[in-house]
Amino acid sequence: MKKYVLTGLLLLSVLSLIFAQKIEPLINSTLNGRVLDRKSNLPLSGADIQIKGTTHEVVADNEGRFNFRTGQKFPYILIVSHVGYETQEVTVTSNTIEIQLKETSKGLEEVVVVGYGTSKRKNLVGAVTKVNASELRDIPAGGFDAQLQGKAAGLQTTTTTGVPGESVTVRLRGATSINADNTPLYVIDGVFVNSTSLQTVSTGGKSTSPIADINPADIESVEVLKDAEASALYGSRGANGVIIVTTKRGNFSDGTRINAQASHGYAWAPPLWKLTTGPEHATLVNEYYANIGGKQPFTGDVWNPAASSARGTPELQKTYDRLGEAFHTANLSSYNLSVASGNKATRFYLGAGYDNQESILRPISFDRATFKFNIDHKISSIVQIGSSNTLTRTHRNQGRAGDGPAGGILQAALHTPTYLPPTNDQGVLVGRAGFDNLTLLLQYYDVNAVSLRYIGNVYADVQILPDLKFRTSWGVDYDNYKESEYWNSMLIAGSPSGDATSSISDNASWVNEQTLTYRKKLGKHNFGILVGNTLQSNTYERTFLDGKGFANNSFTKISSASVITGTQNWSQNTLASFFGKVDYNFNDKYIINASLRADGSSKFGPERKWGYFPSVGAAWRVKQEKFLQDVDVISDLKLRASYGITGNQNGIGDFASQGLWTGGSSYKDTAGIAPQQLANDNLQWEKTSQFNIGADVSFFNGRLSLEANYYYKYTSNGLLQLPRPATTGFSTYWSNAAEISNKGFELTINSVNIQNKNFTWSTNFNVAQNINKIEKLASPLQYGSRNLILLQQGSPMYSFYLYKQLYVDPQTGNAIYQKADGTQGMNPKTSDKQIMGSVWPKFFGGLGNDLTFGNFDFNIFFSFQYGNKTYNHNRFFGEGGGARDAARVIFASDLARWQKPGDITDVPKADGVNVNNYLDAGGRWLEDGSFVRLRNVTLGYSFPKTFVKKIGLRNIRLYVTGSNLFLITKYSGPDPESSANSNQNQPGIDLGTPPQPRSVQFGINVGI
Amino acid sequence: MKFSNYILAAAFSVSLSSCEKFLDVQPKESVSDEQTIFDVTSATEAVRGIYNAFASGSYYGTTFQSIGYLSGDNIQWTGSQSQVQEFINHNVRADNPTISSAWGQIYVAINRANNVIEKVPALQDPHVSEDNKNQLLGEAYFLRALAYFDLVRTWGGVPLILKPTKTAADNSGIARSTKQETYAQVLNDLNKAEALLPVATNRYRATVKTVWALKARYYLYQGDWANAESYATKVISDVTNYQLKSPYSSFFANGARGTVESVFEIYYNGTTETNGHGGQWLPQTLGGTRQWAPNDAFVALVNTTAIGGNRSVLVAKDNQNRWYGTLYGSTTSSGSYVIRIAELFLIRAEARAQQNVLTGSNGALFDLNAVRARAGLDASTATKQSDVLLAIENERRVEFAFEPHRWFDLVRTNRAAAVLGVTDTTKFVLPLPNQQILLDPALKQNPGYN
Repeated sequence: MKKYVLTGLLLLSVLSLIFAQKIEPLINSTLNGRVLDRKSNLPLSGADIQIKGTTHEVVADNEGRFNFRTGQKFPYILIVSHVGYETQEVTVTSNTIEIQLKETSKGLEEVVVVGYGTSKRKNLVGAVTKVNASELRDIPAGGFDAQLQGKAAGLQTTTTTGVPGESVTVRLRGATSINADNTPLYVIDGVFVNSTSLQTVSTGGKSTSPIADINPADIESVEVLKDAEASALYGSRGANGVIIVTTKRGNFSDGTRINAQASHGYAWAPPLWKLTTGPEHATLVNEYYANIGGKQPFTGDVWNPAASSARGTPELQKTYDRLGEAFHTANLSSYNLSVASGNKATRFYLGAGYDNQESILRPISFDRATFKFNIDHKISSIVQIGSSNTLTRTHRNQGRAGDGPAGGILQAALHTPTYLPPTNDQGVLVGRAGFDNLTLLLQYYDVNAVSLRYIGNVYADVQILPDLKFRTSWGVDYDNYKESEYWNSMLIAGSPSGDATSSISDNASWVNEQTLTYRKKLGKHNFGILVGNTLQSNTYERTFLDGKGFANNSFTKISSASVITGTQNWSQNTLASFFGKVDYNFNDKYIINASLRADGSSKFGPERKWGYFPSVGAAWRVKQEKFLQDVDVISDLKLRASYGITGNQNGIGDFASQGLWTGGSSYKDTAGIAPQQLANDNLQWEKTSQFNIGADVSFFNGRLSLEANYYYKYTSNGLLQLPRPATTGFSTYWSNAAEISNKGFELTINSVNIQNKNFTWSTNFNVAQNINKIEKLASPLQYGSRNLILLQQGSPMYSFYLYKQLYVDPQTGNAIYQKADGTQGMNPKTSDKQIMGSVWPKFFGGLGNDLTFGNFDFNIFFSFQYGNKTYNHNRFFGEGGGARDAARVIFASDLARWQKPGDITDVPKADGVNVNNYLDAGGRWLEDGSFVRLRNVTLGYSFPKTFVKKIGLRNIRLYVTGSNLFLITKYSGPDPESSANSNQNQPGIDLGTPPQPRSVQFGINVGI
Repeated sequence: MKFSNYILAAAFSVSLSSCEKFLDVQPKESVSDEQTIFDVTSATEAVRGIYNAFASGSYYGTTFQSIGYLSGDNIQWTGSQSQVQEFINHNVRADNPTISSAWGQIYVAINRANNVIEKVPALQDPHVSEDNKNQLLGEAYFLRALAYFDLVRTWGGVPLILKPTKTAADNSGIARSTKQETYAQVLNDLNKAEALLPVATNRYRATVKTVWALKARYYLYQGDWANAESYATKVISDVTNYQLKSPYSSFFANGARGTVESVFEIYYNGTTETNGHGGQWLPQTLGGTRQWAPNDAFVALVNTTAIGGNRSVLVAKDNQNRWYGTLYGSTTSSGSYVIRIAELFLIRAEARAQQNVLTGSNGALFDLNAVRARAGLDASTATKQSDVLLAIENERRVEFAFEPHRWFDLVRTNRAAAVLGVTDTTKFVLPLPNQQILLDPALKQNPGYN
């Protein structure tokens, strides 16, 4: 698109120069022509038509029409080109002509956005995957990051919760850092946007996704920049890959297009956890006491759940269904309206959207209202200005759907024993097992977050010379994030007399950017030079108030509280960058690119602020060689290789390198000071070098195309909060102390299986493998509940470090473990723990099929992951063997426990927690998290054009889409992707988190 | 074209020249460690910073205290994490997070004290008097003594860190001193503090009387009965300032703080300085989670009138008929008791009993009965020396039920095997945190924990 604009601009500038010189042209001939698509015979607007041997060039209008008034005499030759079509030369002999263009091999001419520019796919040197909006539009999810699952080889997207708008784990080609960020850089319309959650209230370890502030309906395309050649120009954050989002714009010289979309749907829970009934629970508890030689509590003939003994026999126990109360059928609705238009000088896109998504877990919901305005205007043939603007308000009704206990919805709903009634003897609703009472919790939940976010930029393009373009732009990402909580005094978090909080966070970043592009074609030599600089700054501020001690629950604002405390935070970082890039293309056959970027960051030590990030890449379009030109079966073949270095500084403290004392160490109401952080003057950029080799090949006129990449990434100077011996008085300090490697293979296959007028069927498939390894780490680090996760040298990041249970002794019912010395036995020591797998899949990807038959379109898309492990922490708690009695639910799976000699099972004898059979960090609860998910299936119907035109519209499409309708997995929990904590070092631990819902939505698109 | 080039050149040069300044961003919530203790105000604030470290949840705020009582025989654990159960089972693993956070926080406190001890003598502030300097230094020495005392009684000999950490390389790779050397360091610091601190009464900060009280406990642990008795007497005899407050509940119930009972307690205002300890003890209706609770044996004991007396207020029932502990009555503002006058009475009682002075106003029973009388109990019927010592041991169990004494008492009197059934003497000290052993090769693990 931009290429086209550029060409148009060039043309205009040439024309204006001609006019400026006031040369009256001599007219020797006129020509009226029309450009059509060969297959459909529909007009092709926007085709470039140039008279060969001159600079005279025009653009076809909406109806594909163009005309020339020229000094040339017939016959002359026209060069007709259009994005996505083969360029044709036509000899003109008379003053009317109809030109039919043939579509090129699929995708080769596709324009792909890369760092600070665009490229045609055929000339790409780097590994870039483009995802078009149409592939994402029907997938119901809070943000487009969640929609990307399975869409790009090497991009692993894990939706760790069923709460819409909550954070999604996005990893491109593995993870490179322990304590700096592993999330790709998101660039939206040229603005480096903040992807770190501003959430400060606790939702049990979870956090919001700031990417959900972007309305997917406004997105034109998403480009995933994977290798160093593609991302090095974004040096400062390229190490985790770059995701470039281009939003929709109008077209110059185009009519007004109005699009309206509305959809409504329902989401419901997949099969949930299977729990014991009251009688089963009681039986297990009695059995536990029998096994340890204690007094059995479930005895007597009177039902009395609160008594510590003689509560009535197991048969007398009742069963209370709390899950049914917590989960409901949720409503999903989405409305979008957009207007796009353009004349010769100005084009714009105006979009408004509203989304409302309820979580299947009450009372959580997410809604988003967005306003989008993009405009471009040509002031003259030389100068074009424009602006992109996104204004979003999101509102979240939040709930703690992660770890507990206070306020934890699934702690109250799932982890509370089923036999315990919700009320006490007096009929008063009470919390059980240290958790909140579910009914009270759902009734009084009052946690709200409102984000008001503006992302925008203004730019000016100046065509200094026909080959030289200057661009300057200013971008802003401003997020005002307000949170409020009121915890009713009847809830744990609000007892004894209510607790209200209010937090206002403010994150403002701006980026200023200048680029100068020179592009020249000399015969077969085509080269470009780009130089530029950027300045960026990010400022974070937060004001927080907490009020406790309310007169009663009618007062919920802090002004009514008797004890009020507050905090204020401020932090800032800046980044200055200079970059340059040279690309050279010989005859569309040999392409070589090289770039260098220098970044200075305020975060690093005084002499270490600057990092230098070079890259080089080359591509050989083998198909252009003589020996392949006649091989018809191969329509394209390109080999690519690249190497480069990218950096990472995100996620570390803004003042990470400085030695600091805090003023917050007060005692007895008076200020105190204390050491806070050790200085590290040598703190510097984390650097990732990446080698990529790839091949793009397509057959049968592009009907079948393959893209393959192999990469090897090595991260050195890894940013780490390096543990220091406690004797120093500090636990860690920021240091460049880790080295991590990622290597892998990616394969993408696109195939047009059947293509005729009434029926098309295409298939896309991608699969990727990534092998992650910590190459250097002085001492192991442990993360997560019960230190389940280990990071140690020589192993993949996020390995599960557990006691490996081998079997349950059929004679004694005791769990037998693998010991470090190779023996087997009971009561393992800490040193007997071993790595039993990691969260990394052996491979993952997606498989999609698109079919159209007549006016129907059908799409079915699967995503899959194989070989990753998930720790079923819910089940760990749920298989307490009866020992936790009134403190914890018992899962139905615990009924398989060993009971008598000869029993063959892997659930040991019920004889207590924290002892041999029920160890913390037991390996029994680590499960295979592989899955195949029916991510999306959509059936659409577009009304016939003739009918639509008759009623004055452009198109009408009705569709029904189902999401996540089935899941194939061995995992025993509801969702193998679930994870309780958004912390990047604690993935794969499933606790207290709702699964991704199943949903069906009905929608309509109307174009005017 | 010239114009455009000019813009370009200007844009580049402006950004270049202002770059270094642009990249220099200083924090506003913290200050550089090059400007810390430089005058009397900052020195005083740095001393408060040491107390703040003691007040932390990892030290006297919850964690360290819990080691002392969970390892005894009064508490049960209702939660799910083994890190607490391990103390109750006397099978603490080296990767237990409780020991790791306590160990770390005590050394944080020591580093803060070391900063004051190094920098205050060098202060050139004309506004600071020698007395003022001496007091600040004395407090730092006292607090460092208490920190090493807590370390040595929990883990045995530890690395002695006596200089502040200024760079990441400082104060690591230092091997453990012996138990004797560590105790010697404690005494050394206490002697310095005693010489520097004023004779005053302050229940929240150290004075010379606080030093005497800790010295009494120090000598008790050393079996230096004469010194233990004499230092306890120095405090007990200050009857205007220190008394057994009656009834028992009056030193902690209804938000009481800083009463005459208290020799040294950590202060929490409940808002900016909070003690989360109560959250572990209190039931949900009072804002807590009741993760740990008095066990059946202790509930029975304290509710036996002839044993618990009016100390039965230490336990109460929640709305679901479960017992909970009441010593920390608030989830935010309860004080944390370090040394109470009752302890000095019982120290002196034990020291006198060990010296076999059992009766009379200089006898062990006099002090024991003073504590019993305050609890509303009759005088002890013990007569033999061994019975008196046992009576003192049992009295301490109930008197300090939820304070960090029981475990240390049973270990120092070599009674852990008889009372708790801990026959493996390697369990008398806890393991060093596993992570620390891995981080610092100079550290050697205690026997039995490898």
